[in-house]
Amino acid sequence: MHEFRYERPATVAEAIRAVAHDPEADFLAGGTTEVDLMKDGVFHPDLLVDITRLPLRGVRRDGTMLQVGALTTMEELASDRTLMERAPFVVEALLRGASVQLRNMATIGGNLLQRTRCRYFRDPAVPACNKREPGSGCEAVNSVARMHAILGASPACIALHASDLAVALVALDAVVHIQSEEGERLVPLTQFYLMPGETPDRENVLRHGELITAVDIPLPPEGTRSIYLKIRDRASYEFALASAAIAVIMDGPVIKEARVAMGGVGTIPWRGFEAEEVLREAPATPDTFRSAADGTIRDPFIVPGTAFKVELAKRTLIRALTEVTS
Amino acid sequence: MTTIQQPRILGAGVDRVDGPLKVTGQARYPNDVNLPGMAYAAVVRSTIPSGRITRMDTTAAEKSPGVLEVITHENADHLGEAPATFIKNPQPPLQDDAIRFYGQYIAVVVADTQQNATAAAGLIEVEYERHEAILDPHDPRAERIKDPWGEDTAWGDVRTALNRAPVMIDQTYTTSENTNNPLGLFTTLASWDGDTLTLHDSNQWPNMIQQVVAAMFGLPRDAVRVLTPFVGGGFGAGLRCWSHIPLAVMAARHVGRPVKLELTRPEMFTGLGHRTSSINWIRLGATRDGRLTAIEHESLTTLPLDGDEYEPCSSVSTWSYASPNVTARDQQVRLNIPWTNFMRAPGDAQGNFALESAIDELAWEVGLDPLEIRLLNYAEVDPKTGRPWSSNALRRCLEVGAQRFGWSNRNPEIGSMRDGHELVGYGVAGVSFFWYQQPCSAKVIVRGDGSAYVRSAVTDIGTGTYTIMAQLAAGLLGLEVDQVEMQLGDSSMPVGTAAGGSGLTAALGSAVHDACGRLIQKFVDLAGTDPFSPLANVPFEDVAVSEGRLFRKGDPTRGESLARILAVHGLTELSADGNSTPNSPDQLGMTPAGARGARFVEVRVDEDLGRVRVARIVTVNDGGRILNEKLARSQILGGTVGGVGMALFEDTVTDKDTGRIANATFGDYLIPVNADIPDVHVEFVGEPDAFNPIGVKGIGEIGLVGVAPAIANGIFHATGKRIRSLPITMDEVMD
Ligand SMILES: Cc1cc2nc3c(=O)[nH]c(=O)nc-3n(C[C@H](O)[C@H](O)[C@H](O)COP(=O)(O)OP(=O)(O)OC[C@H]3O[C@@H](n4cnc5c(N)ncnc54)[C@H](O)[C@@H]3O)c2cc1C
Ligand code: SF4
Repeated sequence: MHEFRYERPATVAEAIRAVAHDPEADFLAGGTTEVDLMKDGVFHPDLLVDITRLPLRGVRRDGTMLQVGALTTMEELASDRTLMERAPFVVEALLRGASVQLRNMATIGGNLLQRTRCRYFRDPAVPACNKREPGSGCEAVNSVARMHAILGASPACIALHASDLAVALVALDAVVHIQSEEGERLVPLTQFYLMPGETPDRENVLRHGELITAVDIPLPPEGTRSIYLKIRDRASYEFALASAAIAVIMDGPVIKEARVAMGGVGTIPWRGFEAEEVLREAPATPDTFRSAADGTIRDPFIVPGTAFKVELAKRTLIRALTEVTS
Repeated sequence: MTTIQQPRILGAGVDRVDGPLKVTGQARYPNDVNLPGMAYAAVVRSTIPSGRITRMDTTAAEKSPGVLEVITHENADHLGEAPATFIKNPQPPLQDDAIRFYGQYIAVVVADTQQNATAAAGLIEVEYERHEAILDPHDPRAERIKDPWGEDTAWGDVRTALNRAPVMIDQTYTTSENTNNPLGLFTTLASWDGDTLTLHDSNQWPNMIQQVVAAMFGLPRDAVRVLTPFVGGGFGAGLRCWSHIPLAVMAARHVGRPVKLELTRPEMFTGLGHRTSSINWIRLGATRDGRLTAIEHESLTTLPLDGDEYEPCSSVSTWSYASPNVTARDQQVRLNIPWTNFMRAPGDAQGNFALESAIDELAWEVGLDPLEIRLLNYAEVDPKTGRPWSSNALRRCLEVGAQRFGWSNRNPEIGSMRDGHELVGYGVAGVSFFWYQQPCSAKVIVRGDGSAYVRSAVTDIGTGTYTIMAQLAAGLLGLEVDQVEMQLGDSSMPVGTAAGGSGLTAALGSAVHDACGRLIQKFVDLAGTDPFSPLANVPFEDVAVSEGRLFRKGDPTRGESLARILAVHGLTELSADGNSTPNSPDQLGMTPAGARGARFVEVRVDEDLGRVRVARIVTVNDGGRILNEKLARSQILGGTVGGVGMALFEDTVTDKDTGRIANATFGDYLIPVNADIPDVHVEFVGEPDAFNPIGVKGIGEIGLVGVAPAIANGIFHATGKRIRSLPITMDEVMD
């Protein structure tokens, strides 16, 4: 049996030290990703540093910003009043994710760091997976890949980043607080994730031993309308085939300002900067929405199983824009 | 006297008699059983679909902590052939180095804990010689088996009728592989005591497991006892003796301790078979007013390299509708895949999807209401033999269903019923389910206190057999339900048949009926020998039972309690054996009809995104005599959920190069969640069936059948898109 040690430090500094000095150590938050992948034989940490007792839990209002402790659970954040009033689409993104049992365990920090659902990544009996075994190839590209990415993908890896929360948060320019032995650094979520390129095993800018302590969510101005639309086969308890997180400020029939991000399509939570350009100061019409969608889903990398997502994603975005502006 | 005369007990929605045990955790499922000194087993599965093992290195596994034994084909016991039981069982595992599918068992590791066994199993190194695998049913190299069961059927002259038919439908319908996925992980706990063997095992037929294991291990049948009082669902998965069972038995013999082998969820996908995919070619010929003149139905389903399977998809076309000309033919193709196996409504579920889709296409073609065309072509008699049905309330199912559903509110025009972004569609399908019954036996015993117990080796897979048999025996013996104790799921009890094929209620019920009749006869005979008995000289035909008493019909005061009769004769109990064998259609001059049903669904299709939601379902079924309305309803509800799964979600995907099942987890293999299931209205119609003494028709499977075509037909009404392959996903519905 693969044995591992378990520690539950009381302070952030101890936790970071414990992981930083052991290359085979992992943080353990809610465990809904970490323990799953250990059971599947994908992760083999020899030390689990349980961070759930660290004082990093709770939501604090700071002017026009919410500071969310990394260990706040998904359910806790989803019941935050301010968030419900000012950015309800973040709440929707949370509540459309997983199941209530999972959301009671899963933390915000862990959610941002959840690993892909790619079936080939999750089964060590499959030899080829660049994310799991760098340089081994990519089984998904030649196989059944319905739940995979079309944006930011490459022949080396087409794995989806499946977080719903992250989609809404990249739309809002959330900022991640990262703590290491050297100190704290702040990274905007839009720059936090890395596209697979030739190194699909590297998913984000976090270095070993760095701990996410908090996420800042800037609150959009009052009067902002928002939506999180998640499209999937089942009505609940499934990851997105396509999702759209949108916040808009309207001026009559004209969109003054828009934030757009998409899920279910990207190797990273996909911010739609092009769509935002198109939408800014544009009339809320089907033509506008179509060009916003065309601008977002550009140069997709598709395999037979994901081809349908190009149009599905566009229509999802158009539907979300239609609903949020009407 | 043996007529059923207790409407208060029979038919009533009596609560499950095993309910309290189950909700308080006292019902011991096979994986709940632990024995002193028990060891744990973990299996190792092949990671190629075809070839040969050239080297296995077990050194690391053997040295791994807690490991007691590692068994591979190199040190496995040589086992005897597995006999066929209705259908073939997998031949003993680990007998050679050949690999026939990805996921085949190639070793078993036994250790002191499950964790140690599982960890060591991961340390075994395997090298293979790879052979090219055949994984595609269309691969010309694949072995094709025509008319696999000698059941291809033809009457009339289909060719000519099709050539002459003014209207013809000629289409291909496909269904995907589905996996049974009972929630309870299948477990075998094997323990030897000298030359006798006890198995706590998850299955649907304890006597079958007993027979197969005895043959493989060269034991007399009596030396093997299989205990399955409870099992966490089956849906067909427990109808064969799967390879993990002999593995556990072999492992227990090697280590000289009881061994528990519990499969994991991914292992459940490769180790217990799955519903075969199917291709159905259907040609319908009809008159311009929609009357069928010809049905031609051919199917192709899949087989593993070394097994067999009974999935006559085309057979539904031989009994569902009246047609003067019919051919029904099936073919199978062998592939390097895990076993295909029965799954709730095998053959029928797939064939009905094809036929009911084609009938719907015909309705549109001739401009008839899809409900009307089914009524128009209703088979008044068995279309093959011209014999009357033992019962057939399909017409009534359709009529009642249409009324409950509000079918008359349907605007026939495609896409005409809209609600915002959603296109609303109404779909209907009829269901004529197969009939199946096997011999079965039971023993009924009345104790000194007048209470009774019933014993049979059959198991209750959760459908409610314990309860309905207690009701039946209570009704026949004139007792209350709580005076009847049920003892099932033990192969040493009177030989029972499978809890499968929707055939157990008729088989076991008829055996219980027989036993109760014989038992009452014994009581009447006993009483007759007692000159002081109020029943002395009363002939058997004139005796009735109620409230634990026998009495003369028409004169309830002239009678005696069962308990008193036993006491008078110094007996502590009295028992009778009952047997049932299916009646002969020739003798009765009728065709036994399985259950009948109608499905009405409202679907809502997002016009841009192609997303399908089922908004309403009305399911009306003819199950002959319904023994327990509440449990029957549960069966239909569960079947309906399975039908929605088959229609919209379930799809066991095999990687085309490796033969690996790509989605063998509940995260990846989608089944409906609560939010996918709308309000379901369940109703029963029909009369007691004439083919067995208790008048029942099995309803364990029919609930699933017909849901998928009704949904597909509704999607057509909503969108004008005819989807001919399952599952129906948004990418196909989207324009
Ligand atoms: C069945 C199922 C369905 C799901 N469905 C959805 C869905 O629909 N939408 C969705 O968005 N998500 C879904 N999820 C994913 C789920 O939201 C994540 O697993 C969860 O949010 C992870 O949080 P956790 O606290 O459990 O993280 P853990 O599993 O404890 O940790 C995840 C990873 O992050 C690391 N880590 C955790 N916290 C920190 C930190 N503060 N700093 C640095 N590293 C850290 C851990 O070492 C680990 O590698 C689903 C999960 C499951 C199992
Ligand atoms: S898509 Fe990425 S994660 Fe999936 S198999 Fe390919 S490399 Fe691995």
